Amino acid sequence: MEGLIENWIGRVADAASAGRSLAIRGGGSKAFYACPEQGEVLEVSGHRGIVAYEPTELVVTARAGTPLRELAAALAEKGQWLPFEPPHFGASATVGGMFAAGLSGPRRQAVGALRDYVLGVKVLNGSGEVLSFGGQVMKNVAGYDVARLFAGSLGTLGVVLEVSLKVLPLPVAEKSLRFSIDEAAALGKLNAWGGRPLPISASAWHQGVLTLRLSGAAAAVAAAQRHLGGEELAAGLATAFWESLREQTYAFFAGDAPLWRLSLPSVAPPQPLPGSTLIEWGGAQRWLREGDGRAIRVAAARAGGHATLFRADHALKASEGVFQPLPAPLLRIHRQLKRAFDPQGVFNRGRMYPGL
Amino acid sequence: MQTNLADFIKDTPAGREADAILRSCVHCGFCTATCPTFQLLGDELDGPRGRIYLIKEMLEGQAVSQTTQLHLDRCLSCRACETTCPSGVRYHRLLEIGREVMEERVPRPLVVRATRFLLCEALPRRWIFRPAVAIGQLMRPLLPAALAEKVPLAAGGAARPWPRRAGHKRRMIALAGCVQPILTPNTNAATARVLDRLGIELIEAPAANCCGALRYHLHAQEKALDDMRQVIDAWWPDVESGRVEGFVMTASGCGEHVREYGKLLKDDPAYADKAARIAAMTRDACEVLAAEQEPLAALLRQAGADSGERVAFHSPCTLQHAQKIRGVVEALLTAAGYRLAPVADPHLCCGSAGTYSISQPVLAGQLRDNKLAAMNAASPALLVTANIGCQTHLQSGSKVPVRHWIELIDERLNVGA
Amino acid sequence: MSIESSVADRRFTVDRQALIASLRAVLPEQALLVEEEEMRPYECDGLTAYRQLPLIVALPADEAQVQAIVKVCHALKVPVVARGAATGLSGGATPHRDGVVVSLAKLKKIISVDPVSRTAVVQPGVRNLSVSEAAAPYALYYAPDPSSQIACTIGGNVAENAGGVHCLKYGLTVHNVMRVRGLTIDGEIVEFGNAALDAPGYDLLALMNGSEGLLAVITEVTVRLTPKPELAQVVIASFGDVRQAGDAVAGIIAAGIIPAGLEMMDRKAIHAVEPYVNAGYDMDAAAILLCESDGTPEEVAEEIGRMTAVLEQSGASGIRVSQDEAERLRFWAGRKAAFPAVGRMTPDYLCMDGTIPRKRLAEMLDAINRLSEKYALRCANVFHAGDGNLHPLIMYDANQPGELDRALAFGAAILELSVKFGGTITGEHGVGIEKVDVMAEQFSLAEIAAFHRLKAAFDEHGLLNPGKGVPTLARCREYTLARVGSATSPRS
Ligand code: SF4
Ligand code: SF4
Repeated sequence: MEGLIENWIGRVADAASAGRSLAIRGGGSKAFYACPEQGEVLEVSGHRGIVAYEPTELVVTARAGTPLRELAAALAEKGQWLPFEPPHFGASATVGGMFAAGLSGPRRQAVGALRDYVLGVKVLNGSGEVLSFGGQVMKNVAGYDVARLFAGSLGTLGVVLEVSLKVLPLPVAEKSLRFSIDEAAALGKLNAWGGRPLPISASAWHQGVLTLRLSGAAAAVAAAQRHLGGEELAAGLATAFWESLREQTYAFFAGDAPLWRLSLPSVAPPQPLPGSTLIEWGGAQRWLREGDGRAIRVAAARAGGHATLFRADHALKASEGVFQPLPAPLLRIHRQLKRAFDPQGVFNRGRMYPGL
Repeated sequence: MQTNLADFIKDTPAGREADAILRSCVHCGFCTATCPTFQLLGDELDGPRGRIYLIKEMLEGQAVSQTTQLHLDRCLSCRACETTCPSGVRYHRLLEIGREVMEERVPRPLVVRATRFLLCEALPRRWIFRPAVAIGQLMRPLLPAALAEKVPLAAGGAARPWPRRAGHKRRMIALAGCVQPILTPNTNAATARVLDRLGIELIEAPAANCCGALRYHLHAQEKALDDMRQVIDAWWPDVESGRVEGFVMTASGCGEHVREYGKLLKDDPAYADKAARIAAMTRDACEVLAAEQEPLAALLRQAGADSGERVAFHSPCTLQHAQKIRGVVEALLTAAGYRLAPVADPHLCCGSAGTYSISQPVLAGQLRDNKLAAMNAASPALLVTANIGCQTHLQSGSKVPVRHWIELIDERLNVGA
Repeated sequence: MSIESSVADRRFTVDRQALIASLRAVLPEQALLVEEEEMRPYECDGLTAYRQLPLIVALPADEAQVQAIVKVCHALKVPVVARGAATGLSGGATPHRDGVVVSLAKLKKIISVDPVSRTAVVQPGVRNLSVSEAAAPYALYYAPDPSSQIACTIGGNVAENAGGVHCLKYGLTVHNVMRVRGLTIDGEIVEFGNAALDAPGYDLLALMNGSEGLLAVITEVTVRLTPKPELAQVVIASFGDVRQAGDAVAGIIAAGIIPAGLEMMDRKAIHAVEPYVNAGYDMDAAAILLCESDGTPEEVAEEIGRMTAVLEQSGASGIRVSQDEAERLRFWAGRKAAFPAVGRMTPDYLCMDGTIPRKRLAEMLDAINRLSEKYALRCANVFHAGDGNLHPLIMYDANQPGELDRALAFGAAILELSVKFGGTITGEHGVGIEKVDVMAEQFSLAEIAAFHRLKAAFDEHGLLNPGKGVPTLARCREYTLARVGSATSPRS
């Protein structure tokens, strides 16, 4: 392992002195996401393995190249998991890729996002230094929260070597319910339920059907089901449904049409945008197929959120930009932060924003 | 907190007491959250922790000016900070010591001294105060609004007669007081009627005038002690003869003060013991009633009527913070069938605070208006409190009548009578 | 104060008169305090061991005034120290000798409470507890509840990433804040986060949480509100032995339970609190655990049953369950008043804040007891046991020569141990000025240098809260050198 990192340090130094960019690559399962890779590939999936896992501490530390499946299996064995349900997007997904993409699955509305479970990281920066931030304990405010800054930074600040994450026990009971309801009414219901102590752990609305998942203690799930009504989904079907949403294998996501992700306040009304829509996270995450990029970005901003061109070909990504443009002062801070960790601009150049 | 008191005070009794209090404060800042003046002004110097610091600096020999004076003057002495303080800091004592030192250090302008002198001489004397109020009330419609507000309105219900002496075995004394008999004569009368129903005769000792609180808080310590001695002289024969079982306070401001008699007169050999004895025999009217819970409940049942009338209660600082009596009046009113309207921030002072409404009119007005807004939030039919100062101060800004709670109990008991 | 401190450095050359004139030009008269007499009470926060008179104190009343102050300070290269309720225990709001203290206490408007989106928008000077009070009519509350919640402000909570007694289940400030609006040091208005669940670009919102006033001045915060659980109950378990209590904590987590709160107090802490709060704590216990369960009544009953079983197995000598909401609040009131209540036993205390893996709780307590003997200072222990976050309260008397230095050495020894046990020097109180030197215990020079570069990305000239949070590289080297000479006390 040490040899591996030594080798990378050398490559970083070479790239830095030559002014080249390195494209960090783990399992490659999320290569489709964000702006296209540039430069020579730095293959990092060899740095793998669970470093420490103590179920009673609720903490796991894994090397970035560890396959996500392997981690999930190790946790499941002890009745625990990563509650934010990170999408794998392929069998080759790694812990590092999950961390760098920063994506969360259906349960995000109830339990928080990946960044909320990050406790610490070990990274390799653009000057070839191995640095640790955060730690393996639940609470830690020593120094700036660099670990969370790296989460979702798409490898633009450095190579993630190791991640420490908070884990939780698996829910005891789960049930999924279906309701026939139109978009506006579904949004209304989701927000009203959100204000009540109900064990709703996921929601999805598409084409007039709202699916809810309840998770928690058996008694709480049963009580909520009595209260909410709806039609119960068979357990096997339900599991498959939520997994297909998480992995975007659900029919809505099929085909080559561009996929937009709108991150909006949950209370935002139905958006007057053409194209088919699927709503998750209690109204806070809305997927859209097709549409005019500019109109989508304007609508998202007006509603108080932002839009990401989640899946598209390179040409469309280049013309629309993948992520919502940043206001000038924030863009300036981004550039300076990039320089603070990667002064020569070695890592994942342009993967998030052009010039970053 | 670390302290280093200056030589001028270090080895005096006051200095030692102040040092102990200062050192019990850990500067956590919890108290600032519940301080009325900090809430209005948002300056550390206008909160308890800042005032403690200002006093500490002064006692450590730092130069003081009108600045310290201003911020100490703005303190209401409401003692909300003491209720909040987890460290048991006796703030009011520190403030008293601090104010005394400050009076020596920082001279006051002549007008201020003159006003204080007038307040000091007039308020505690019924024979001056009564005509002054009468004239003020007559003139009220003619006065500009700002001034008119300052003339106390006759608050509370019309005075109904005291009960005819029924020769009960149990007997208690009520403090006649200085301003109360003039402004709200029904308060003691109502107390007498309620106690009469409970088999307790209430009497007043005419020679007991002002309890001394007014002048004490105007830094006329000696005059205040004289007021106190006068009260003790008026009461003592009845204590000695065993004719009365205790003293009933219908104004929590007076009650707080009488309960401190023992401490305040501890250095006067002629009065120390008597003062302590009287202080120990003193109760707020609500405590007296609470002790008669069962007979009172029976009487209320007898009276029958349960109006469900909505009332908002303001617990005076002297009741909830100084005497630490909480929830007792509320329970009595509920037992008598009144519905208590919720009042936000019940710990906050109404701004009356002795003569504060005269010395700090702007802050007092803001506090009063905030308190009235909080009390009226649920549109109660009546506002109720437990101290004459709060009652008149609140009434000066309120169209809704402000009453003493005992009047409400009295009315309920007399429904069927 | 004799401690040589990082807020008295002479890096900045400030013309005080020119600064006053420039500030007077943009602020109302009463918004500036310039006399020593009126600035003294601002010379420290909840950590009174460090005191420093500021150059000037400013009391702005709105964002525009804050912006005007920051712009003047930026133009004249004057340090800016933001201050909320100054309840912090690490000296995060200790003034700088050449700086302006900007008190945000007057920015205390609750701008909106929206029950539908379950958010509240508040100014930084709004008290933590008043957010929950404002949300209460909608059966919502703001989850992070630091012990000082009655007084501490949301701005300060964000700056410190404050925790509380319920954060094992409900998270820290960083998990409950959606948007922070503030000013960069050049006076530009910036917004981190938004009303949605995420924002494009780097997670600057996370970075703001716990940044101790070193990156921006906060002027507005959007917080997430949480539905009040139908029912909450607390179990108090007494233990005759501290070790058993430590084991019970690990046992509860091992049973797959995430309690809403899991707190531990040792005998000294119990004895400080009980006479004042009358919470009903067992005065004979060596330690007590407070375990809270919340949810639907069925859920709570089930969980309380499981927790009670674990507690009994771990050797609890007594178990009580709160019977109503008033009793539950009383059980918690003791815990929340614990720090200042220790003030009844001692004129001064230092509150430590290390976090360690839970399984080492008992070992740590033993070590603290030994250190207590070594330094001849008493120590009460209050732990967020569920998070492994320790708050040893070291009692000393600042009026006794040498006691403060002993207390500081005692504290430093505890922090070293925290790092050695695989934990951190601060779980929730922040580094501030208090632990700035000990940072070198936890981070390498390269990591410290990375922090400095990060800071410079926001604040090139280092004007925001200088001397706090991250030690200069020179101080790190000194610290490391001094440590070589002494095994236990970095200060000796
Ligand atoms: S007595 Fe009242 S006004 Fe004075 S400091 Fe205490 S809380 Fe504030
Ligand atoms: S609450 Fe008590 S200990 Fe804390 S600052 Fe106020 S007076 Fe001092």
